[in-house]
Amino acid sequence: MGLFDKLAGWLGLKKKEVHVLCLGLDNSGKTTIINCLKPSNSQVQDIVPTIGFSIENFKTSGLSFTVFDMSGQGRYRNLWEHYYKEGQAIIFVVDSSDKLRMVVAKEELDTLLNHPDIKHRRIPILFFANKMDLKDALSSVKVSQMLCLENIKDKAWHICASNAIKGEGLQEGVDWLQDQIKAMKV
Amino acid sequence: MEGSERSEASAKWLDAHYDPVANLYTFSSCVALADLHGDGENKLIVGDLGTGQSNMKLKVYKGTTMLSENTLIDLPTGVVAFLMDTNEPRTPAVAVASGPYIYIYKNLRPYFKFTLPPLEVNPLEQDIWHQVKEDKIDHLTLKEMLESFRDKGDMPLSARSLRYLMLEPHEMEAFVNVHKMQTIKRQTVITCMATLNKNMADDDAVGCLVIGTENMEVCILDPEAFTVQAKLNLPSVAVFMDVTGQFDVEFRIIVACRNGNIYIIRRDSKRPKQCVELNSQPVGLVRLNRSIVVGCGKEMLHAYTQKGKKLWTIRLPAPITTMSLMDHKAKGFQAVLVALANSEVHLYKDKILINVTKTQGASNEAMLFYSVWNSYCPIHYGGGLIIKILKRTAVFEDKDTSPGPPLAQSIKLSIPKKTKLYVDQTLRERENAVAMHRAFQMDLYRLRLRAAREYAKALEASMAPVSADLQEPLKMNAVVQGIGPVFKLTLNVQNTSATRPAINLYVSFLYDEHLYSVKRAFFKVPMLVPGLTYPIVTFVESLSDRGASDTIKVFVLATGRRAPILTAHIHMPVSEGPVLA
Repeated sequence: MGLFDKLAGWLGLKKKEVHVLCLGLDNSGKTTIINCLKPSNSQVQDIVPTIGFSIENFKTSGLSFTVFDMSGQGRYRNLWEHYYKEGQAIIFVVDSSDKLRMVVAKEELDTLLNHPDIKHRRIPILFFANKMDLKDALSSVKVSQMLCLENIKDKAWHICASNAIKGEGLQEGVDWLQDQIKAMKV
Repeated sequence: MEGSERSEASAKWLDAHYDPVANLYTFSSCVALADLHGDGENKLIVGDLGTGQSNMKLKVYKGTTMLSENTLIDLPTGVVAFLMDTNEPRTPAVAVASGPYIYIYKNLRPYFKFTLPPLEVNPLEQDIWHQVKEDKIDHLTLKEMLESFRDKGDMPLSARSLRYLMLEPHEMEAFVNVHKMQTIKRQTVITCMATLNKNMADDDAVGCLVIGTENMEVCILDPEAFTVQAKLNLPSVAVFMDVTGQFDVEFRIIVACRNGNIYIIRRDSKRPKQCVELNSQPVGLVRLNRSIVVGCGKEMLHAYTQKGKKLWTIRLPAPITTMSLMDHKAKGFQAVLVALANSEVHLYKDKILINVTKTQGASNEAMLFYSVWNSYCPIHYGGGLIIKILKRTAVFEDKDTSPGPPLAQSIKLSIPKKTKLYVDQTLRERENAVAMHRAFQMDLYRLRLRAAREYAKALEASMAPVSADLQEPLKMNAVVQGIGPVFKLTLNVQNTSATRPAINLYVSFLYDEHLYSVKRAFFKVPMLVPGLTYPIVTFVESLSDRGASDTIKVFVLATGRRAPILTAHIHMPVSEGPVLA
């Protein structure tokens, strides 16, 4: 299978398409992260708060990602659950400098994990402890503690500290996500 | 039961932050929330009272971290964030009221200091101080003159004159010499502060400051020029204020005053039109939609219409420490948060209690504050800071969560059980009722006869320790202290008449001279003033070496009467002297 995939990729036939949900509170950096993962010629300069959601595409070595970049504002958060069915992976972005709203992020994560469309599916979740460049940012270990990530037992998860403006830490996370999805397919 | 309550409370609020050592000492009037930098993030602005004498600070929190700290010169009485101008970006200024000044901060830097216009000074008082300045009169005359002005009271004296009148005589001259060269002025002090939109209803409209002052006025200031635009007179000093409307169009100011009244002022009236009289001092004032909710002493929460009609009253389980409005704009939900002294925070929508939260930590008093973070921050009496955030999914039901009938109703009464003994007794009573009644009545006659005989005997011999004579109402009791051989004998004699003092009374002791020796067996009693108890002390020595004890009789006698007024029999305890020796 792996050999076939590689062959197909090398021949440029068709990459596997994966639907990914990008979630997180408002002002955590979801759109910036997705923007940074896109090829440099299609990146946008100005990033404004997302209204509703937007659909973005980017490719990695083996996969083609379709990302639902959801708005994280309080009034749009109830839109998230409509897209849970389509999601094959979740990217959850946390502003690691916003200690105050860490509980809100945890609350949203808990409702996400307990949702019937998510609860019994073994989909990988990638966490980005974003804004690690800010001086009062928490480390990724601390963020995972505050979100109680160790309680997630039945899903594969991974947390990366990231700086979405410079793009640091993003590749590591996406590589992990790609490995997980490939393993899942097998 | 308690577990489910807790889970329900935590189902509504998220514990975002708890800092027990934040060291904040403030009141809810000195807490504000505003987007100070125009970056979409609200900052918490706290006017910290410090110790009350020193260390007053203006603290600004961004999230959980302190952003800046400015030292304040005097105790803040109100902190308000408002927009001064229409410049972009829309960064609000912070106004801190303390004493007669309002300090305006922009971008967290001191920007402007507004001073309340000084009040009129009594011309006579001014004249007198002028004469003192020219050394025409000395400080004693000054004192007399000032006192006469104060008592006439057509205009209050200046702070300096009042301070002068308080001084000790030897400090006066020095005080006069120090202060006589300065001109005399009268200042007032700001008691509360609020904002009023100038001409637009939007949230980011330019606002005017509305201040209540100690000289019973409410002033509305112009946001740019800082001049007094309007001045309204009140019958008392304002302590809480709520302002709605726009200055140029129509506004309504609801003021809770120190005399326990609420006054409602409209735009076109210089004096309050409506007045609500509360039965105790107000401790908080919140306007909820169209009604005014007032927290009072005596643990009461009242609601009135804006016309001053009473709507409802709730009795709370503990005294109110502070109140605040919870305005959830996204859901169109408004309620009143009431912090109680038992560290609970109650949420009332109209008269329905819809949520109760217990603040963690041993807070006995909480300042609280609701904001557009969907959060409220109780600040402990002990100085801690708590931030709770309302859950996105939280729904408040319009259902009364207050408990039903009290638990005591379900407790069964403890009625004693009747045994067979009781049943047998009732049977016997049913059979022999007539004989029982007769026998009892006979015994009762005998009892009455004997009691009357004994009473007559005691009366004849004046045996009672309470005098029966209406002319000389006296009362006496005797106390023996000690274990012997010497006892301390205290007679407490009291005159129980309303106004007549008792004079020319004597005390005499009757005892077996072989057994006891009393130091003074006969002496005169001082004049007995009505109502006071006179302890009369003597010492009694037991002479017997075999531990025998006897009764000592005490008589209170009056001159010209043979029978004693009072008698007391004291059973002396066995002397333990020989045993100890």
